[in-house]
Amino acid sequence: MRLEKCWFCSSTVYPGHGIQFVRNDAKVFRFCRSKCHKNFKMKRNPRKVKWTKAYRCLHGKDMTQDSTFEFERKRNRPERYDRNVTEQTLKAIPLITKIRHERQKKHITNRQKQGKTKERERDAKELEQDIQMLPKKDAILSTQKTKVVVKVSQQQTEENLMEE
Amino acid sequence: MVQYNFKKITVVPPGKDFIDIILSRTQRQTPTVVHKGYAISRIRQFYMRKVRYSQQNFYEKLSTIIDEFPRLDDVHPFYGDLLHVLYNKDHYKLALGQINTARNIIAKISKDYLRLLKYGDSLYRCKCLKVAALGRMCTVIKRISPSLAYLEQIRQHMARLPSIDPNTRTLLICGYPNVGKSSFMNKITRADVDVQPYAFTTKSLFVGHADYKYLRYQVIDTPGILDRPFEDRNIIEMCSITALAHLRAAVLFFLDISGSCGYSIAQQAALFHSIKSLFMNKPLVIVCNKTDLQPLEKLSEEDMKLVMEMKAEAMKTIAQGGEPNEEGVLLTMSTLTEEGVMSVKNAACERLLDQRVEVKMKSKKINDCLNRFHVALPKPRDSKERPPCIPQAVLEARADAAAAKEKKKLERKLEKDLENENGGAGVYSASLKKHYMLANDEWKEDILPEILDGHNVADFLDPDILQRCEELEREEGLRLEEEVAQEAFQIDGHELTEEQREILGQIRKKKALIIQEHRMKKRTAESRPIVPRKFDKDRKFTTNRMGRQLSSMGIDPNAAVDRARSRGRKRERSLSRAGNDGDDMDIDSQQPNKKLRALSRPRSRSKSRPPEEVVPGEGFRDSDQKKKAIKKAKDSVKKRNKEARLNQYDCLIDITGSRKERVKKSLSIQS
Repeated sequence: MRLEKCWFCSSTVYPGHGIQFVRNDAKVFRFCRSKCHKNFKMKRNPRKVKWTKAYRCLHGKDMTQDSTFEFERKRNRPERYDRNVTEQTLKAIPLITKIRHERQKKHITNRQKQGKTKERERDAKELEQDIQMLPKKDAILSTQKTKVVVKVSQQQTEENLMEE
Repeated sequence: MVQYNFKKITVVPPGKDFIDIILSRTQRQTPTVVHKGYAISRIRQFYMRKVRYSQQNFYEKLSTIIDEFPRLDDVHPFYGDLLHVLYNKDHYKLALGQINTARNIIAKISKDYLRLLKYGDSLYRCKCLKVAALGRMCTVIKRISPSLAYLEQIRQHMARLPSIDPNTRTLLICGYPNVGKSSFMNKITRADVDVQPYAFTTKSLFVGHADYKYLRYQVIDTPGILDRPFEDRNIIEMCSITALAHLRAAVLFFLDISGSCGYSIAQQAALFHSIKSLFMNKPLVIVCNKTDLQPLEKLSEEDMKLVMEMKAEAMKTIAQGGEPNEEGVLLTMSTLTEEGVMSVKNAACERLLDQRVEVKMKSKKINDCLNRFHVALPKPRDSKERPPCIPQAVLEARADAAAAKEKKKLERKLEKDLENENGGAGVYSASLKKHYMLANDEWKEDILPEILDGHNVADFLDPDILQRCEELEREEGLRLEEEVAQEAFQIDGHELTEEQREILGQIRKKKALIIQEHRMKKRTAESRPIVPRKFDKDRKFTTNRMGRQLSSMGIDPNAAVDRARSRGRKRERSLSRAGNDGDDMDIDSQQPNKKLRALSRPRSRSKSRPPEEVVPGEGFRDSDQKKKAIKKAKDSVKKRNKEARLNQYDCLIDITGSRKERVKKSLSIQS
C-alpha cells in the first residue's frame, strides 16, 4: 500500500480515493479527485492553474529546493527488513517533517515581507505628498510643532532649547 | 439415407399463417398500381400475374412440405417402423396425401381463372376474377389446416428423435422395467438418462456412445418391456420392440436377480422366451444385474434352472466361427458398486465385433480388400527363447528410486498436513513469514507500518538516517540563529504612528470621493439624460425656453440659466484658484443632478497664456501666422460643431415620412 501523488495538484491520494488513468503508452496518471481528473481531461496545464503545487513551485510561491526533500526518495528496490533501522526511521520522520514545515513557513513569510516594505514606503510617500489635499486645520501632525506660549525663565528656556 | 435430416425439415405453418404469408408476398412482389384508364391487355396482365404468382408460391411451399417429410417406405425399416409406432402410418400418409391434393386443386383453380381472365373486359371484372381465384385458393388451404397442424406436431416430435444410425455397431439394452438398464447406460456412456425408482422412467429410446478398441459403439437404451401378448403392447413398448426387430445389434438382456424391480425371475424368464425370436442372428449376452443385493451363487434352485435355460438359448446365438465361449454369455454385475460393468461392455462389444467381422468375411465385398491385408510375422530362426534383457543395475536403480520416493512421502510434512492438523482450511491460516531470511529471527513476526502521517515509510528508509537527521538538526539550529540575528538587524523605524494613520485614512477618503464625483459627472447616455440630436433638430431646447418654463413654474431661473450658459462662456483667465472657492469641489454632491447642463464646468481658469502668443517649439514665425492658423482650424471645425457632429465621418440621417410624424408627436408629449 502506497500513498501516491495526484498528477495534477500534487496532493496525496489515499487508498480508496481518486482515479487512475493508464494511457496507451503505459504512463499512469493518478488523480486525487474528480476536479483534478476533469481538469486533466480538459487538457489544462497544471503549471498554469493557480491552485496547483506545480504552479506554486514554478512561480516561487512555495519552497522547492531544500535538504529535507532529500530524505523522501522513492526507492525501486525493496530493502530487507531491519528492526533498528525501521525504528530510527519512524522516529525521524516527524522531526524531518516538522523542520520542512518550518522552512516552508519561513519561505512564505520572506516572500511576503517585500510586499510589506513596499506598502510602507507607499504610505509614507502618500502621506507626505497628498497631505495638502486636506484643509489645513485637519492636517496637523505631531511632527509639526505647535506654538505654545510659555513663560520664559532662564532655566525653562534652556529646557525648551534642549527639547527642540 | 435421411436419418439425420429429421431435424432439417422446414417448419409447417398453420393454415391461417400460410395464407397470410402467401398473400402478403403476392402483394409485395407484384406491381400494385393499376388504373382503369390503362390498356385492357395491361390490366389483364396485371391481374393474371397476381393469380399466377400466388399459385406458384402455394405450389412451392406445399411441395417442400411433401418432399421433406420422409416417405415411410423409402426410409430404413427401423425408422419406418418407429414412425409408424409413434405416429400411425395411415394418418401420416393421409395427411401428406391431403397436402398433395390441395396442391393439385390450387393448380387447377389457377388454370381456370387465368383462362377466364384472358377474356375480362373491364378492370372491375378482372379484379373480381382475381379476388375469386385467390379466395378459392385460400379456402383450400383453410380446409387442410388440421393436416398442417398435425404435420407440424409430427415434425417437432421427429426433430427430437434420437439420431440412431441403423448400420453401425450397436448395443441394445432390453429387459423388464426397473432392472437397471438406464443406470448401466449412464455408466458406460456420457448419456445422462433419468434413473428413478418407478417403472417406465425411460419412455423412449436413448442413444449414447461408448468406445472399445478404438471403435465407436452406439448404445441404445430402451424402455422396459412387459410380458404381454403382442397386440396389447403400448407405444412405448413398441418402440423397444421395433428397435430389437430392425437393428443389427448385440443385445444385452438384463436380468434382475434380486427381484427388487418388482418382478420375479420367473416372469423375466417368461419375457425372455416370448421375445427370443427377435434375438435371431444377434449376439446375445445375458446380464445379471444387482448382484450387490443378491449374488448369483446364492440363487434358489428353480431360479438357477431358469437362468441356465436362458443361457442355453444365448449359447445358440454365438457366432459359429467363434469358440463356444461360455463366459461371454452370462455375466454378472452391479451398477451400484460398478463391479463387472466394464467387463460386460467389453464382452458385448467383443461379441458384436466378431460377428460383424464374420459377416463381412463371408460377403463378397471382402475379397476385394483381402489381398490388401498382410500381417507380417518374423519367422523364428530356432526355438530359443529370447526375453527382453534389462541390466541388473537398472533394475536395482529402479527399485531404489521407488523405495526412496515412498520414504520421502512418509517423512516430509506437507503444509497441507499442517493445515489439517490445526483445524482445516477455514480455521488455519498459514504463516507466510515463516521462511523469511532476516538478520535476526525474532523480527519475523513484526508488523511494519507502511504509512505515517501522510508519508510512505518505505521512502524514508535508510540505514544512515540517524546520522543525516543529526546533521539536519544542526543545520536547522544554525539557520534559526541566523534568522534571529537578521530580525534584530531589521529594526523597523518606518512604521506609521496612530495619528499618521488617521490622516492617511482621511486623505484616502477624500480621494475616493473625488473619484466618485468624477465618475458621476462623466458623460454617459444612461446616467445623464441628454436630449439626443434627432429630437432637437429645430433647436428648441434653449436656455431661454428653460428660463421661461421655470418661471412659469414659479422658480427663479437665473442661477440655472447662468449655469447652463457658462458652458459657452469665454474663459476667465485667473492665475489663482483663490476666488473660486465657492465653485470648487462640491463635496456633498448627493443631490440628484437634474439639470446637468447647469453643472457643466467652465474651462479651467488656470490657463494664463494668451492664445496668439507664439511658443518657441510650435513652429510659427510670428503671432499673425499663428492667429491665421488658429482661425483656419476653427473654420474647418465650425460647421461640424454646429451640426453637433463628432468628426467628419459622423453624419445626420434624415428621417422621412411617417417616422417624422411620430417623432414630432413624441416631442409634443414631452413639451
